[in-house]
Amino acid sequence: MKPLTTEEIRLVIAKGKFRDNVFKATGIFCLALALVVIVALIADMVIKGSERFTLDFFFNFASRRATQAGILSAWVGSLLVMFVTAMAAVPLGVAAGLYLEEYAKRNWITHVIEINITNLAAVPSIVYGLLALGIFVYQFGFGQSILSAGLTLALLILPIIIVATREAIRSIPAMIREGSMAVGATRWQTCRYHIIPYAMPGILTGVIIGLARAIGETAPIITIGALTFIAFLPPVPFTAADAGTTAGLFDWIFSPFTVMPIQIFNWTSRPDPQFEINAAAAGFVLMAMVLSMNAVAIYLRYKMRKNIKW
Amino acid sequence: MNEKSHLSSQFDEDLNGLRSHVLQMGGLVETQISSAIEAYSKGEVSSVKHIVETDRKVNDLEIAIDDDCAHLIAKRQPAASDLRLVFGISKIVTDLERAGDEAKKIAKGVRRIYEAGQMPSQYGIGVRHIAEAALAMLRQALDAFARLDAETALKVIQADVDVDTEFKSIMRQLITHMMEDPRTITTSIDIIWIARAVERIGDHAKNVAEHVVFISEGRDIRHPPKESKA
Amino acid sequence: MQIQDTPSLKAEARNLNFFYGENKALKNINMPVYDKKVTALIGPSGCGKSTYLRSFNRMHDLYPGNRYEGEIRFFPDNTNLLGADVDPIEVRMRIGMVFQKPNPFPKSIFENVAYGLRVRGENNKRTLDDKVEHALKGAAIWDEVKDRLSELASNLSGGQQQRLCIARALATDPELLLFDEPTSALDPIATGAIEELVHELKKRVTILIVTHNMQQAARVSDYTAYMFLGEMIEFGKTDEIFIKPKDKRTEDYITGRMG
Repeated sequence: MKPLTTEEIRLVIAKGKFRDNVFKATGIFCLALALVVIVALIADMVIKGSERFTLDFFFNFASRRATQAGILSAWVGSLLVMFVTAMAAVPLGVAAGLYLEEYAKRNWITHVIEINITNLAAVPSIVYGLLALGIFVYQFGFGQSILSAGLTLALLILPIIIVATREAIRSIPAMIREGSMAVGATRWQTCRYHIIPYAMPGILTGVIIGLARAIGETAPIITIGALTFIAFLPPVPFTAADAGTTAGLFDWIFSPFTVMPIQIFNWTSRPDPQFEINAAAAGFVLMAMVLSMNAVAIYLRYKMRKNIKW
Repeated sequence: MNEKSHLSSQFDEDLNGLRSHVLQMGGLVETQISSAIEAYSKGEVSSVKHIVETDRKVNDLEIAIDDDCAHLIAKRQPAASDLRLVFGISKIVTDLERAGDEAKKIAKGVRRIYEAGQMPSQYGIGVRHIAEAALAMLRQALDAFARLDAETALKVIQADVDVDTEFKSIMRQLITHMMEDPRTITTSIDIIWIARAVERIGDHAKNVAEHVVFISEGRDIRHPPKESKA
Repeated sequence: MQIQDTPSLKAEARNLNFFYGENKALKNINMPVYDKKVTALIGPSGCGKSTYLRSFNRMHDLYPGNRYEGEIRFFPDNTNLLGADVDPIEVRMRIGMVFQKPNPFPKSIFENVAYGLRVRGENNKRTLDDKVEHALKGAAIWDEVKDRLSELASNLSGGQQQRLCIARALATDPELLLFDEPTSALDPIATGAIEELVHELKKRVTILIVTHNMQQAARVSDYTAYMFLGEMIEFGKTDEIFIKPKDKRTEDYITGRMG
């Protein structure tokens, strides 16, 4: 083959560079499209709901008058449900992930379990709602409470947390595990001093992604029968409740409740167009909650990963 | 010895180069010795100059080979048989160079004798005989080195005993000769020097043979332990 | 120099076979490990030298499908390290290990060394301080880290990290130290420091070291074993192996000839 002349080489490079640029442009366009959609959505909500962004909106209960209606019970409900969800799902999910990665023998049973965990993540959330209605609400008698809702959502995000935990554990190099075992540590000591702390950033990310998904879930919550119109807050522990009694530490857990998505759903289904403004404003608040959770996740991950190097 | 080639063909080339240089040097020393013997028996004083010149070449080769050995050790870190070869070569060249020096001494002695106009007496004939024996030892030792053949080398080592015995008998003869006729003392002393040099050549040939045994078998047989006295 | 006295045995492999599933990785290994001596395991990649090393502290037990046959006797108590009744944890408490790549935990320098002690339930601050200092001194890294014990171990250089890992293994006073190619990730200077350290350490502990670097084996060890395809081809004094190996295969390997 004849060696190329400088001119020919330049031509080849120019051709290659042109293709480069075409692909770059296409990529930027696709990215922009996605960004524009999300920005438009948020902007639409902000513009539509702007007149509701007052303190009253945050601290008023639901009302039949759109201008007086607020989201107090909804956001408090959301936070409490998330709290229960996290309390239930995190220990369970982390323990399950840890067991599967560190303890379980590799045989067909674990294999079947693994496949099913992945499948669980794909189960439609309404099915979890039906399951929870049967088990938590009626069988265990938790009623249409924060506890039922929290546990339902916990079930929903359990696979996410298990998978995230396993991924995080798998990213820890084998040599760390071996280094720990080699000085005579037991499996549990290795998990306790190394695996869990080093997997924490990954686990946390999984947990928050899970919670972010749960906070926006509507279907299962409706299925177990969350109320759409609540004009009171769950009892604060150790404060006076009705009939001169004092609320116990966990009384709030059995309280009826509503959550953000249900509140929004409720408002959008009202005939009065004024409520659409409420819905937009609440939608923005929900969005802000999810985004700030993600931000916290990113920050925590950054902070924890900084010290974990191998 | 190991006939398989190294992963690095350059290493093989280096080692082969080293071996052929040693054989080349050995060849030079052999000519030095045989010329010296010729000069001694035929009185060819002219070849003395040639022997001295050859010695310079031998010295240069010694330095060059030692240098190559050092480079090879630094570059390749030879081990086992390779290590023994390089290490042995470095010692062999020392002995070869000294054998060359002895040939030079013989040549100079020959020149002194003939320039003084004296001929070696019949007592000096034995010198030619052991000189040839010593030369044969060196040839055999170099042969053993070329083939890394420990058996031949061991024969060389045994042959040294004969050379030593013969040297002693020459000494006795010459001493008797000197006592009988004090006029022959100067010549006799020169002949003793020459015989001594020949005996040393035999020792160097024996040393070379011992190095060959070390190279091929990894045994160091230089200083066998004295048999313990009961 | 010749090794004059016959040292006492610290461990001995007897008819040791090892299987990764169906795959036989070690074939009938018999080898002594002498007390307070350095024994080097050399051989081409995949010859089973690391597998053999990791049998001593039962590292293979961490993974399913591995199986031992035969025994590794550990002295003076004549325990069979591979015995079914012997807890691998107990084995690892007596036998330390240093890995191919420095693997400090992403914790402080102090905690890295103290870990082995904490695992044994030691929580007394004074004892921990003393033992950590002693171990770091033993690993010849004390002067470099004494002012920053609370810093992360990952801030140390590779060679320092490896010496820290040695300190971690030393902290619990092991009877036998296993080194699995400890310098393969280090530069020549750091390698030199580790080799020097090995030389110091053999005064107090028996060492078994796997190395790819034959010169390293020649430099640091008293005894050398050459392994090939899961077999122990030759075991002997290092001086003898490197000057006059008995087996042709050993000779070919250490002189760099094609197999």
